[in-house]
Amino acid sequence: MRRIEALQHINELTAELPLVVTCAATSRELASVENRDNHFYVLDAMGLVGSITTGLALAARDSALPKVVGLEGDGSLLMNPNVLPTGGFIAPEKLFIILLDNQVYGSTASIPTYADRVDLGSLAGAAGWTVGLADDEASLRSEYARLLTTAGPTFLHVKIEVGNAADIPKLLVDPVTLTNRFQAWFTARLEQGAEVPE
Amino acid sequence: MSSKTYAQAAADGIWRSGADLIGYVPSVSVAPVISRLIETDGGADGRSEHVTPLSREEEAVGVLGALPLAGKFGAVVMQDNGFGNSLTALTTFSLSYHLPLLIFANTRGSLGEYNSMIHSISHPVPRILESIGLPVLELDRRSSVQDWEDTVAEAGNHAKMTYRPVVVLGSFWNTDGKVA
Repeated sequence: MRRIEALQHINELTAELPLVVTCAATSRELASVENRDNHFYVLDAMGLVGSITTGLALAARDSALPKVVGLEGDGSLLMNPNVLPTGGFIAPEKLFIILLDNQVYGSTASIPTYADRVDLGSLAGAAGWTVGLADDEASLRSEYARLLTTAGPTFLHVKIEVGNAADIPKLLVDPVTLTNRFQAWFTARLEQGAEVPE
Repeated sequence: MSSKTYAQAAADGIWRSGADLIGYVPSVSVAPVISRLIETDGGADGRSEHVTPLSREEEAVGVLGALPLAGKFGAVVMQDNGFGNSLTALTTFSLSYHLPLLIFANTRGSLGEYNSMIHSISHPVPRILESIGLPVLELDRRSSVQDWEDTVAEAGNHAKMTYRPVVVLGSFWNTDGKVA
């Protein structure tokens, strides 16, 4: 499965959920699939998606939202692996990380990460997360559905192919516009709850 | 004359700032601040409903700094030598996305410090923070306990008004607290 194919499925599945997205190719490709109000693109700050998602999951703990979703890459998670023990320790009920793992730094000349020798899903499991593994559309959808309804920190480890989609434009926006857009969407949902597709 | 300690005043100022959640990275100097926060939140053993330990300053900026996206406000309690770990998050996340955050940090770069190495990061911290555009308010023995509490509380308000992090640096030397 290519990254952009995984993103098409994830975009469909998370239409009514807050989605915090890691930098560079992942944000660009997702925005090219659809650039929605529930997407919060972390355009730099590599490694911070899991921490941001943890904070938002804590903020959403009394809401009707089932999960706050963070979309990470293997290189980015390795930049701040504290996300795993911290998430396991605090254990926010609504924390959900989806890891797109292609074992390389996708936006950095495809230099290999540690992920071909270190199983990031096992690390998450050791830290107390409920982990699912996917490598195609069917397993992505079934494991996503299972983890969406599992209380506590959940971690969907998605194996994808190396390579970026062609001709995807950079996201050259003022970040504060993303703050205002996402904040308006998210705060409204925190008050109203959310309907999640089956 | 206040019956509070300086550490208690700092903690009470953090609550008065309107913080919904507080994260801390431990240090012996801010341990009394953390204890007060947890005690007044009804917790024990270093954690409570609204106060949580974190293991690194960078993630503290991510976890607590994200709260304004949910219409909430966060605060971080840490030691000033941890700013080196958090500069990228403070600049490329908090400042760039205009997200307010209150940070209270004890200082290790001046009077009363025994550690000859920690000066290397802690002494220049105010200038480092100012160079990236973060407001820094410095408190020490010359301020009253009440001034510590009021300054910390208003620093949180200042962060919200200016849509950016605001840092309060507290030197416990020659107060009723300890440097390290």
